[in-house]
Formats: sequence, C-alpha cells, structure tokens
Amino acid sequence: MGLKGWWWKISGVVIFLYVIIGGMIIPTRAGVTKSEPGSARSGDSVTMVIKAYNTHFLSAGQNRAWLKLDSLHAVKAHLLNAKTENDIQISFNIPEQFPASEKVQPLTLIIDNEIDGAFVQPNALFVTLSDSSIVDKSLWVNAGMNAFNKAKGIKFPYRNILNETIRNTFFHVALWFAMFILLIIGLYHAIQYLRTGNFDHDIQSASYNRIAIMYGVLGLITGSIWAKFTWNTFWTTDVKLNMTAVAMLIYLAYLVLRGSSSDHDKRAKISASYSIFAFLALIPLVFVIPRLTDSLHPGNGGNPALGGEDLDNTLRLFFYPSIIALILLGTWMAVLLIRYERLKEKIFMRN
Amino acid sequence: MDLIKVKDIFIKELSIEFRQKFALGGVFLFAATVVFLIFKSFNDINPREWTILVWIILLFAGLNAVVKSFLQEKKETYLYYYTLFSPVDLIVAKLLYNFLFLCGIFFIIILFMGLFSGFPVKDPGLFFAGAALGIFGISVVFTFVSVISVSDNGNATLMSILALPLVLPILLLLLKISAVSVRLLTDTAIAEDVWLLFGVDSILLGAMLLLFPALWRS
Repeated sequence: MGLKGWWWKISGVVIFLYVIIGGMIIPTRAGVTKSEPGSARSGDSVTMVIKAYNTHFLSAGQNRAWLKLDSLHAVKAHLLNAKTENDIQISFNIPEQFPASEKVQPLTLIIDNEIDGAFVQPNALFVTLSDSSIVDKSLWVNAGMNAFNKAKGIKFPYRNILNETIRNTFFHVALWFAMFILLIIGLYHAIQYLRTGNFDHDIQSASYNRIAIMYGVLGLITGSIWAKFTWNTFWTTDVKLNMTAVAMLIYLAYLVLRGSSSDHDKRAKISASYSIFAFLALIPLVFVIPRLTDSLHPGNGGNPALGGEDLDNTLRLFFYPSIIALILLGTWMAVLLIRYERLKEKIFMRN
Repeated sequence: MDLIKVKDIFIKELSIEFRQKFALGGVFLFAATVVFLIFKSFNDINPREWTILVWIILLFAGLNAVVKSFLQEKKETYLYYYTLFSPVDLIVAKLLYNFLFLCGIFFIIILFMGLFSGFPVKDPGLFFAGAALGIFGISVVFTFVSVISVSDNGNATLMSILALPLVLPILLLLLKISAVSVRLLTDTAIAEDVWLLFGVDSILLGAMLLLFPALWRS
C-alpha cells in the first residue's frame, strides 16, 4: 500500500491531534465563580466581593460593571476596586424604587473590560423591595450598557457548573456520533452478508461493530467522568444514561455471540441477524424513549439543546473535526481488525 | 403466509405440550413456587414491589418455557418441516404459541399474586393493554432468540445471554405502564408509552419475519 491509501489515516491522526492540543490549550472565557453578598434591600449601598475566573482586572485599563434588572433597566457601579487579576470589589447604590412590582427582584451582574470582554452572572443579587407601591423609573437608566468590549483571542464559552469540563464535548459527544456512523457501516455489511452470503462482509460487519462497541464504552466512561464533575455522581437515574447502558448490554451480548460458536458459516449468519435485530431495538432506545422523558442532558426536559450558547462557533471549530477524526481513526482500527481476520481466515482455509 | 398451515403447526405445538404434561406443570409450578417464596419472604408486598415482581417472575418462567419449544425437536424434524412449510408459517405459529403460553403463565402469576397479596391495579384497562403488548414483545424476542440458539446447536445458555438485554427496553416500558396503572406514578401522556410499546413490538416483529428465513436455511 503506497502513500495513496494513507492520506485518510494521516489526516485522522492530524485532525485528532489538532482537537486534543487545541481543545486543551485554548482558555475558557472569563466568568464569575463567587459573588457576595447574595441579597440586599432596596436603597442599600452594596459592596459586592467578586471572585472570578480567567479575568484580567488589574491588567485591563478600565473595568465597568452593572446590575441589570431587564433589557431596559440597569444600575451602573460607582466604584470598582480590583484587588488581584481575579478579585474585585464593586460598589452599587441600589435605588429605593424599582420599575417592577414583585417583592423580590433578581439582578444580573455584568462586568466588562477590554481584555476579557463582557461576562454575566445571572441572579447575582436578590433585592428585597422595602416599598413596592411607588414606581419611579428615573434612577434606572441604561448607563453605557451598549459599548461592550469583545473578548480578545479565541476562547471557549464559560459555563457555571461546566467550567473547564466543557472541553469534554469534543470527546464525549463526538464519540457517540462516531459510534453511530460505525454501527451503521456494520449494519450495512450485515445486511450485505445476508443478501450475498459473501463471508468477507461478515468479517467487515463484525470489525466495525467491535470498534463501535469500544467507542460506546469509551463514551460511557467519558460521560461518567463528566457527570462526576458536573452532576457530582458517576451514575444517575437519567434516561439517556440508562438506555445507553441497555444498548451497550445488547451489543455486549453480540460479542458473546461472536465468541460462542465454532462453526464459521453458522456464526456469521446468526451474528448478522442478531446485529440487525439489535440495531432495530436500539432505535427506540436511544432516539425515542429519551425524547419522551425528562433528562439532565442538553436538549431534554427544558435544558438547552446542542447549539445556541452551549455550542458556539469556537466549540464547533473543534467539535466537528473531532467527529470526523474519530470516524477516520475508528475506520482505521476496523480495517486493521479486518485484515487480521482475513489472514486468520486464510490460514484456517489452508489447514 | 398460509393461515391453515399456521393453524396446523399451532395445534401440533399445543397437543405436544398437553401430551407432555410434566413440562407444562413444571413451568406453572415454578411460577407458583416463586410467588409463594416471595410472599413468605416479603410478608407484605406493596404495589411497587408487586408490579416489579410480576414481570420478573414472568421473565424467568417464560425464558425456561420458550427455550424448550424449539429445543425439544430434533434436527431431522426441522428438515421435514422445511419441505412442508414456508419459514414464515412456522415462525408465526411458534410465535402465537409462545404468546399464548406466556399469557397463560402471566395469568397464573396474577392469580397467585392476587391470592397471596391482593390486586393493587387501579386501572385494569391500561394494565392489561400494556401487559398484552409487552408479553407480545417479549414473546417476539424470546422466539427470535430461541431460533438463534437452535441454529447454534441448541445452546441454551446463549438464549438467556441474548434474550435478557433484548427484552430490557420492552420491560422498562412495561414497568412504567404498570406503575401508572397501580397509581404509583401519574402520567397524563401514558398513552404515548403504550403506542411506543406497540411501535417497538412491530419493529421487532418485522425484523424477525425478515430475518428468520435467512436463519432457517442453515
């Protein structure tokens, strides 16, 4: 095999290296990790002590901050005192009167400087109104809330809870996509085997399925580790998790089946039929049932889906290449398995 | 598909079963013993345990029974069948027989559970509709897997290895439907789950009918 057959293997490795290196090196955007106090009364003068992440309060020329009520109403901070790059004290004079009638008002904190860009902490301060009957909007103006800076350089979005683990998107999510592509290739070869009876299709189907199962197990492991850091447990009662576990059990039974019989022809026929049956059983399991039930995963039970703010363009820059790279690498591994099985077959035939 | 042939095979299965009364009795005795054992160890079975136990007992009693229906016949018999019937006739007859058999076990279990610890189902319509669909799905999976294990030289351990993961999606839906029918859960969209179960059943049935002729030739 000359260099001609190698281009996709090399590009698989190169793209995956790009995903690993780029995905690990690029910092996340600035974000607030802790802000105190969490509540105040209207009319107070509050000094909020902020602990932030990946910020440059000292190096930045000018820090600005607002407490935002809604898209029209905000108060500007009158004093900002940066202690370190990641610590800042911000003082606000909260007006006596609010342009809203609810007793308790959640305010969003917005901080902006020219290095980190603008970043927000939703519900940073809950203000209890001392008198909610009077409505005077004059103190609530949108003071300079339009000239936001953009963050410098390419950065991944900062999500509270997710923090740095947002990079796992490139591995955990991409593994599932790649697994499905490989399973579909395996399914295609299983159908071809039953149609033509060509033994080579059986070898290909089994190899692709094996690599797909490995990806599935890796997907579960990466997801489990991710869950430990975000949901604080390795395993939850979440439907998607448990349905995937069932799917993996079905496919592990496929591996048992492959190993059980010694008669090649019979084994090929049985395992091809079983893998078609298993794939069809998988469709309601992975695509239908989780859609009907609440889940902690994005896109279910009111959680935002893939896309929107969770998958912004910087993440896409690595997420899609990662899927491609994993498919290429998986195909490569499957091809190695296929060649190994073909050689075994040749020796078997000679004896 | 030839309905008369399906009926013939079906009646043949039934008459073999009734001639070997020990096997039939064995399965029902198994179900009854397990129910009694569970009753004695729990003493007071609450609705949650009741629904789960019904399905678990059905699963294991059914697994024992269905393997037998394919394994009891010799290779030569199958060769003889091959000359007589089309594969679809045979599998449909076997499936109907297994479905009836599992329903029989299900009612025996319900009867004994009712005797020992009451019948907590508040919505019998939903419960039995779900049960019928679920048992049908379980019998499709069991029939398909027993065909596989017969093709693999009558390997009975293979049956339980392959069948249990495959019935899990059906069983999970069934457990949810029965939990709603005993009012452990309230779910206004439970009809969707019943339809989903129906969909899963039809997918599996279609797959089995398509794949069986290929397996059968060996």
